[in-house]
Amino acid sequence: MIGRRKNADDGAAPKRVIQFSRIDAGAFPFLLIFPAVLVILLVIAFPLLYSLYVSFTPYELLKPNSLNFTAARALRNYEKLLNDDIFWRSLWNTIVFLAVTVNLSYLLSLALSQLLARVTFGQSLLRTLLMVPMMFAPILVGMQFRWFFNANVGLVNNFLISVGILQEQGQIAWLVDVPLGMITIIIASIWMNIPVMTIILLAGVLSLPSETFEAAEVDGASGWQKFRFITFPLLAPFSYIALTIMSLDIARAFDIVRIMTDGGPARRTEMLWTYITRLAIEDTKFGLGSAMSWITVSLSVLFTLYFFRQLVKARIVQ
Amino acid sequence: MMRKLFLIALILALVSVSAVGAQDEAQYAGLDMDLSGITIKMANIGGGQYEVMYDAISVFEEATGATVEIVALLDGFSMDQKLKVDFATGAADYDVAWDHTSFVAQYTPFLLPLQDYFSEDELAAFSPAILDAATIDGDLYLIPRHADISPIHYRKDLYEDDAIAAAFMDATGEELTVPTTLEQIDQQARFFVENGHSTLGYTLAGKEEALTGRFYEMHFASGGSLFDENYEPAFNDEIGVAVAELLAGWYVDGVIPSDTTSLLWDGVAQYFCNNDVAIKLEWYGWYAYFQDTDSCAVAGNFGLARGFTGLSIGGDAVRPSGWAGAHAFSVPATAPNPQAGVQLIKFLSSERVAYEEALLGFLPTRSDVWDRVIADASDAENPLDRERLELARVQVGEDFKTPPLIAEWIPFSNIFYPHLQAVILGDVSAQDGLDAAAAETREMMADAGYY
Amino acid sequence: MITRSVGPNRHRNDIIWNVVAWAILSMLALPAFWIIMTAFRPNIEINTFPPVWIPKRLTLEAFANMFGLNPDVQQRVAVEAYLRNSLLASGISTVIAVSLGTLAGYAFARFRFRFHTSLFLGIMLSRAVPGVALSLPLFLLFNRVGLVNNVLGLALVYVAANIPFTAWLMDGFFRQIPQELTESAYIDGCGYWSAFWRIELPLSLPGLATAAIFAFLAAWNEFQIVSVLARNNAAKTFPPGLFAFTEQFTVDWRGMAAMSVIMMAPAVIFVVLVQRNLVSGLTFGAVKG
Repeated sequence: MIGRRKNADDGAAPKRVIQFSRIDAGAFPFLLIFPAVLVILLVIAFPLLYSLYVSFTPYELLKPNSLNFTAARALRNYEKLLNDDIFWRSLWNTIVFLAVTVNLSYLLSLALSQLLARVTFGQSLLRTLLMVPMMFAPILVGMQFRWFFNANVGLVNNFLISVGILQEQGQIAWLVDVPLGMITIIIASIWMNIPVMTIILLAGVLSLPSETFEAAEVDGASGWQKFRFITFPLLAPFSYIALTIMSLDIARAFDIVRIMTDGGPARRTEMLWTYITRLAIEDTKFGLGSAMSWITVSLSVLFTLYFFRQLVKARIVQ
Repeated sequence: MMRKLFLIALILALVSVSAVGAQDEAQYAGLDMDLSGITIKMANIGGGQYEVMYDAISVFEEATGATVEIVALLDGFSMDQKLKVDFATGAADYDVAWDHTSFVAQYTPFLLPLQDYFSEDELAAFSPAILDAATIDGDLYLIPRHADISPIHYRKDLYEDDAIAAAFMDATGEELTVPTTLEQIDQQARFFVENGHSTLGYTLAGKEEALTGRFYEMHFASGGSLFDENYEPAFNDEIGVAVAELLAGWYVDGVIPSDTTSLLWDGVAQYFCNNDVAIKLEWYGWYAYFQDTDSCAVAGNFGLARGFTGLSIGGDAVRPSGWAGAHAFSVPATAPNPQAGVQLIKFLSSERVAYEEALLGFLPTRSDVWDRVIADASDAENPLDRERLELARVQVGEDFKTPPLIAEWIPFSNIFYPHLQAVILGDVSAQDGLDAAAAETREMMADAGYY
Repeated sequence: MITRSVGPNRHRNDIIWNVVAWAILSMLALPAFWIIMTAFRPNIEINTFPPVWIPKRLTLEAFANMFGLNPDVQQRVAVEAYLRNSLLASGISTVIAVSLGTLAGYAFARFRFRFHTSLFLGIMLSRAVPGVALSLPLFLLFNRVGLVNNVLGLALVYVAANIPFTAWLMDGFFRQIPQELTESAYIDGCGYWSAFWRIELPLSLPGLATAAIFAFLAAWNEFQIVSVLARNNAAKTFPPGLFAFTEQFTVDWRGMAAMSVIMMAPAVIFVVLVQRNLVSGLTFGAVKG
């Protein structure tokens, strides 16, 4: 049994937030926090501010003189991006990708956690199997799935030929066709996200108070009703933890996209990350790339902020 | 020291005189300087097929007393990114850097001009077309290592089968011969696919610079030019549209693979290797791989021919295909030991090292090495070995064409190829796609200060 | 655990659930089996058609090539360098990130102070910054202070990247420790520091282990930043090292698979060893407010 069920002990007692009464200790907490904040300021905040400055200049890597700020053209990069169809397209693709990946990962993990909670045979080994995708670096996930979905020599098409669904090689161009390209990337990302999410949700499922279910059974609730009205609401805090962890880690999906399609073909899977890399590193347009980075950072921060607020709310409700 | 130098000069002179005879050993160069205690750093292209050169380095180290340190071994595109970043930040603390004729234009502000470090005799050994391509505003920035260019590869069984030839005659009223024009390729590739003789008619790399380059090649072979004399984009002319429509037609009709737009060089080669492709342009560098019966079904079943001439829409301006490039060595302007770096380059591009590399199948850039390898192949078991070299020498000598020597070649390619992909995949019409690419290219070139 | 009434119907259902779960999870693990199989099979069986599903024989060639045990292969990937750099960057950064993150997490859990919420949010949000946005300015700045192409520079970045998650996890964990324990420690005359050090830290070791594993794996697998900051084998870790198998024209799939197997080893060890801890650490610490 993995999920400890401290709360279950108080059984029917009304669940309120047990807000910790924190201690007033003067400067001591600041001393504890200071090193962490210092590192973050130095390694994350300062570079980001620098890139904000760069985003207001026409800086190109191979033209060192272009790193100069003039008020007149400070907003030129942002202006350019807002008028850039490809930027909007990659923004849209990114949103679609994130929305589908996050939701599907969550739903599949939820289903999987329900399933795993019922397993009686070989639980430990099964959980090790569940964690297999965790062992893969995102870049390795990308390489593997690109290979699997290769139209000519890939496992997926080979398998479909072996079982007689396809007649010849190259019949399905997984990484090319719309919407298969996006779908294959999403499959790879979901595969990578499933373990952590499922583990958290499974722990949640296992910690649910059994008394509530027994009461529901007495009332004649169906399996779906029990899930819908008991399990799902009680899982809310676990769900938000899982979603928060995922939103913090979502940028790891960049490695997958970059390896699998690199935004192609014909920008069908172009996302903000691939577009930034192309602009900033390959085309050496650091200024423009920084402007886009800032837009991306703002979006990521909003996204995470949203989940955090939900998490805090869920904790309070509990 | 002087005596050693004199001896080497003498041997070099003898070698160049008697090169055609090629009985004597090919000679090293660049060993005539005492470099004791100096560490020469080199950032270069890596990979199994480049072993020979790295083996030779120990000879250099022994003769000169220098230590050679390889600070980076990357594939070409990663190296390009590394160089850009290192140059921009002044971090290029190495004495020899990989270079390539397609990339050199963007590095020139950060490279050491080399013409003063090499004598005219030394430079005369190299193919003039390549040195021309490496000379920008009068300064020579690289010394070529080996070149590559693409001949037509075709499957012999398709052209030696009387039944297929007769059917082709029936269908088209023409002889089935190895194609020399792009229109013939179109006709034959479609015929082979439609009648089930070959799974695919043609293949080409379908993304990144590889796609841009293949389009560029079809376009200039058809008399077109990517840019006009004022660097205005000109690829959306009727020639460009015709080429793009040809590719889109091939895609929709299954002449080229369904995953064309995700293929790079290894992907396209795999198709040909599997005996699935009737005709294609392919780099000479793949020859050994294709002839390996262990790995390729096409081994022994393919022939080579000079690059095609383009679409007849180009009229008199039509010429043979021949998008080409040469791997090369440069010295960064920030090199700590430029003279030592030059010595290493002289050694690595010497007749001996170049010859040893050429034995692996790379196309030489030195005329003395050409003579040697062709003489070597004259009694090869497979006559194609020699034909290949003779054909390659013609192509490198006469058809060698680099991409436009502008620093914006890769940024241009990054703008261009997604649009061409969209045309190929049928997302937009050829004219609309190329017009959109031209508009973006113009903006990029304007930002770069061309107009 | 959900209690079940026992009966024949339940029993049949149990079997179905078990079978379905095993089938799904085996599929989930398939890519790992495939990668291992690729690493050990003869090269000729890779990328062939028709595909070879079951290797005809197993061979260690790919590993021999990688570690230079095959005299025919001279040019090889610098797997020792990748291993060293990966261990250094991940190890150093994990120790520091977990230390600093634990201190911060403790402060957030125990004490009341000004800017409590905004500091906490600020630290958390720094984690949401995508690596690609950070790598470019970091490169320019690190270049001025000599931290480019330097394992310590890399470790520094990973410290910053891993502090937020650690702080979050530990915050939840410390809040879980009964307050009375701490209070009795104060009554016994413990200072804030010794209460933390002697009483609460030892109690939070499972959480610490979870945080450490996540930090280590995040650094071990990171690609976006190292691919910009590491210029050569002096600082390259495994993820960019995988590209050493991509040559100008061809990809050595088997070599890549072999290195992937080595690269996954620490993850496998961690997951197997601390599976239980991982689960309780992630949830026990994080949920119960």
